[in-house]
Amino acid sequence: MSSKWENLQKRSYLESNARSRAIGLVDTGSFTELAGPRHRISSPHLPLLGEAVEFDDGIVTGVGLIGKKPVFVASQEGRFIGGAVGEVHGAKLVNIVRMARQSYDKMLEDNPDLPEEKRPAVVISFDTGGVRLHEANAGLLAHAELMDQFQDCKGKVPIIALIGSRVGCFGGMGFVAAATDVIIMSQFGRLGLTGPEVIEEELGKDEFDASDRGLVYRTTGGRHKYIMGDCNFLVADSIAAFRETLQEVLRKPYVEIAAMGSIGSLEKVESQLKLVELCVETAPKDSKDVWKTAGNEFPDDLVDMPLDEFLKTVKRLRDRQVPQPPSAQQLRK
Amino acid sequence: MSKQLHELTFEFKAEKPKDFSEDFLHFGVVGSGDMEVIVEHKDLDGAVRIKITSPVTGYEEVWRRVLERFVNDTGVANASFEINDNNATPVVVSLRLRQALAEIS
Amino acid sequence: MEDLIGQGRAAIDIIVDPDSFLEGEVGELSITDEDFGASAVIGTAKLNGEICTIIASDAMTANPKFPVVYAGIIGLEEGYKMAMAVYHSIKADKEKPLAEKRPLLLIVDTPGNGAGKQEEIFGMNKATGAYQMALAEARKAGHPIVAMVVGRAISGGFLCHGLQVDHVLSLSQKFNTMIHVMPITSIARITKLDIEWLQELAENNPVFAAGPDYFYKLGGVEELIDSIEAMRERIIAHVAEVRAMKIAGRDDELGPWGRGALSLERGSRQARSKVMQIMNDEFAEVAERYLS
Repeated sequence: MSSKWENLQKRSYLESNARSRAIGLVDTGSFTELAGPRHRISSPHLPLLGEAVEFDDGIVTGVGLIGKKPVFVASQEGRFIGGAVGEVHGAKLVNIVRMARQSYDKMLEDNPDLPEEKRPAVVISFDTGGVRLHEANAGLLAHAELMDQFQDCKGKVPIIALIGSRVGCFGGMGFVAAATDVIIMSQFGRLGLTGPEVIEEELGKDEFDASDRGLVYRTTGGRHKYIMGDCNFLVADSIAAFRETLQEVLRKPYVEIAAMGSIGSLEKVESQLKLVELCVETAPKDSKDVWKTAGNEFPDDLVDMPLDEFLKTVKRLRDRQVPQPPSAQQLRK
Repeated sequence: MSKQLHELTFEFKAEKPKDFSEDFLHFGVVGSGDMEVIVEHKDLDGAVRIKITSPVTGYEEVWRRVLERFVNDTGVANASFEINDNNATPVVVSLRLRQALAEIS
Repeated sequence: MEDLIGQGRAAIDIIVDPDSFLEGEVGELSITDEDFGASAVIGTAKLNGEICTIIASDAMTANPKFPVVYAGIIGLEEGYKMAMAVYHSIKADKEKPLAEKRPLLLIVDTPGNGAGKQEEIFGMNKATGAYQMALAEARKAGHPIVAMVVGRAISGGFLCHGLQVDHVLSLSQKFNTMIHVMPITSIARITKLDIEWLQELAENNPVFAAGPDYFYKLGGVEELIDSIEAMRERIIAHVAEVRAMKIAGRDDELGPWGRGALSLERGSRQARSKVMQIMNDEFAEVAERYLS
């Protein structure tokens, strides 16, 4: 078992499957899968439409340990219908977050001086395009439930997002990820709301060519999100690299982790509005324009630079920004 | 015009049977052109039962050939297989089943 | 009036106390720049004599700064503007008891979120996420929040502006109300399934069908309303009901989680509760190892 876990560590996060990621992210031998394939709870809706099913409905949920900390893990499988959220898939994701929060409540009741090292955490490995069309309404409702559970976790349980898989994190799951406390990405991870094809449809191919991989990556990819401050950490593409940064984050006190998120309070919204103001002022035609605004004199060089060098040289937008409330001028023009 | 998932069930007996003793084994991802399998020990008097759930029809004979060969080659016996298939080719099916059994060692 | 599609502002006037709507003002928040988040309408009105925050979309006013924001689409500015209206409602009533927390009323007629290049570069997902988190916080702080679907409640737009409230109400199908992720014609095209057969399937399984009736069956909508005139009275009744439930500590029966239970009552989403139960049972067996 342990040799197997060790083998997982070196593996590419991008190429791994959802279960390997889940097992490899927590301490060796500590992962217990909940409602796994053994229970054969596949979608009741897909068979009616003649679509293939999976015993876990495309998501691995379970609990493991990192040190003494119970870590509630959800890991989506992008290879199964694009990791899309249907009724069962969504319910598993919602419930693992709820379970973490309830566990915290229970632990606190048993021990009012619960040490930080034992405070439960939620880790979600995203690999999804959002709602599953074949059971779209149930999938949509699950998204709302998830945001509700996230809010219940505020002040109690940190939620960490990992994005380094092939499908990335789009559609409704894009704002679910935005609502987490910390986002860890690899350069292969992509995060957004609207997928490239839909933007092309909206704006026309001249404005946005969805088949242009370079364009797609510099609009939603890990490097761009890191520059924008929309991902907190950019890591190498291995399970070990994600795990290491996850451990580093989880060693921090909860208040420090909670402060890292982009949204979730009036102050954070006001600070985001400064960025929107910047968008209006600079009217960027391409992400590279924003990279330049952030202080990167040669934005083209950032695209293919080795990761280590990128992390050393890159200027981030938030380095430059001093968050302050929206100007009176903006609101009362 | 309706589409449904289809089920196929086969039973084979290997020429040189080797008991499958694991309680439970799961392997694979139901990606496009791929499959997953659950294998469980089951007393079947040396036989192997394989159930396939697939959106594709009309390949019963191909399945029979691939699975029979797999059972004979590996000698797997007293086991129940459940496969969720999504258009896997015979080569992929054969590979995944062998990889699944290799997980034990 | 046959329907209210594109008539977000008119809907406000139909619902709130006459001439009581003060646009741009919520607690300490005061927005007078007409171009800022132009497709979103926020403000304060009286509802049955009580101060109430109003959040709606204005399908007639495009945002001049963002070309993809028109027809009631929620763009970057709109999402944050709506979020600010919520946070300022919480702030204004911070010290008040549950019985006096102002209600929030969402008037829903939106085709979705801004789908543009600048939106993705700057993170549209944060704007729409911020608004939802604000609503969830306000709901849990004790504000009764009701959404009234008067037109289009489409996919991510509905999630952002609608599904995060205590109770969702919708005008019934005869008002051309649209609630869906994707129309069934598009689902038929993508899944290559026969549309008539899909419609037949939807009768017994509303998980992919479009329309308020199906969301009602799924527990995604608390009540369907059959006349435009009845909206005001029903909203007032729901605000009172939600407030009473909060005072009684029955928060779990409200909002997205409450609608989970409602779906079971209405005979749908059974797999949801089944899989949750299995997880809970399985975890109970190993919890000791992780939590002690």
